[in-house]
Amino acid sequence: MTFILEIKRSSGLRFRRVLNETPVSVLRLPRGPEPNSRGFDPTSPRFIALCPTTLPSSSSSSGSADEEEQRLRAELRERFLRTLLLMTGKRVRFDMHEHVRVHARFGASDIDVLNLQVCDLETPLGVQREALLRSQDVIACSFEV
Amino acid sequence: LPYRSPVSMAMRQTPLTCSGHTRPVVDLAFSGITPYGYFLISACKDGKPMLRQGDTGDWIGTFLGHKGAVWGATLNKEATKAATAAADFTAKVWDAVTGDEVLTLAHKHIVKSVNFTQDSNCLLTGGNDKVLRIYDLGKPEAEPQEIAGHTSAIKKALWCNNDQQILSAADDKTIRLWDKNTKEAVKSLSFDASVSSMEYIPDGEVLVITYGRTIAFYKAHSLDLIKTVDAPASIHSASLHPDKDFFVAGGDDFKLYKYDYTTKEEMESYKGHFGPIHCVRFSPDGELYASGSEDGTLRLWQTAVGKTYGLWKCVLPGKFT
Repeated sequence: MTFILEIKRSSGLRFRRVLNETPVSVLRLPRGPEPNSRGFDPTSPRFIALCPTTLPSSSSSSGSADEEEQRLRAELRERFLRTLLLMTGKRVRFDMHEHVRVHARFGASDIDVLNLQVCDLETPLGVQREALLRSQDVIACSFEV
Repeated sequence: LPYRSPVSMAMRQTPLTCSGHTRPVVDLAFSGITPYGYFLISACKDGKPMLRQGDTGDWIGTFLGHKGAVWGATLNKEATKAATAAADFTAKVWDAVTGDEVLTLAHKHIVKSVNFTQDSNCLLTGGNDKVLRIYDLGKPEAEPQEIAGHTSAIKKALWCNNDQQILSAADDKTIRLWDKNTKEAVKSLSFDASVSSMEYIPDGEVLVITYGRTIAFYKAHSLDLIKTVDAPASIHSASLHPDKDFFVAGGDDFKLYKYDYTTKEEMESYKGHFGPIHCVRFSPDGELYASGSEDGTLRLWQTAVGKTYGLWKCVLPGKFT
């Protein structure tokens, strides 16, 4: 490790590692504007949720009832997924079948939400560092936001 | 020595550059936290203000309509409305979901500043005609209420103290606190130099002002001075973290400075921009801050360097090959 010693007037000695610092990784760069569009994607969840009157309405009444149900389902699904995101890293209480109630730190779910990956699962037999919970065994999850 | 976590000691800040503007970025504002995250609007001299997702910088849309440089931009708390102030002598209100222009408010001169009330029902404007105007967005045809008093162009006008008062900064080197009902100036501050920026923090009623190389903090109700901090270069904008433990500032030397608010010590400085920094603001969750520059870009900076957030990913030392 290389250190550079800096003497600051007011706060005494300060060490600063300059040469061996690793730049923070990024997943990708922010997306830029599209060249031929002003944006505000009408298929984005926010647009669909906040501007329902801009959805194309079909001529038959049952058609529009279907679309309304579809829209509500999509909204509920999105809320569920956002709740999963919010749950990440938090201590969650899982209420399961057979009156089982456990606490664990939620990591992730798989793509079909069949299994939930958790850490530090508190069980009557002790704390399990890493575990998978079967979603079909879970009745409810609760956590502090 | 101040303790710093091992991860942040080993990591170097990677700013995220948001491109798209073709001229200097002169103002930026965040929305509040909404069910869809939080958003960022940028005002640019190219006349095309842009809306971005706040935590990633991803472009969402461009508000098209102004015929001149856009000097000020703001979002309401819910990010459903946007307002812009421009050199074409208009302020415009926009639907921030569809991007559609909702209202054009004609003024007699360049408009520099726009600000919504908490309930988004009123819009405050200020500009080069030296008059503050309050528009009732429920009655857009009605004449705005006017507050006169400044003797030079108004740079920034903000609602404060539960939208009962207005703070304005002008080129006459004063900051004035107005009562919105009586339209009288309740208090006034005079400076030797022109105030370059102003930020109002409702939680704790703090006013952040920059002028010359100084960042000054005042109590918004009384305009009593809390403290001042001097930077190495002329500062154009500063922002206080929501937890009030640090603040950031940027200006003429292209660098961003991070200071400890309590001790006033400079903690870090970051290079990255290729031109003077005109505006800097913390996100509503305090996890990042955004800067706008003469170089035409916005950059997003992490508050806790190395933390996984938005597009930044924490890679522990040893696992990095």
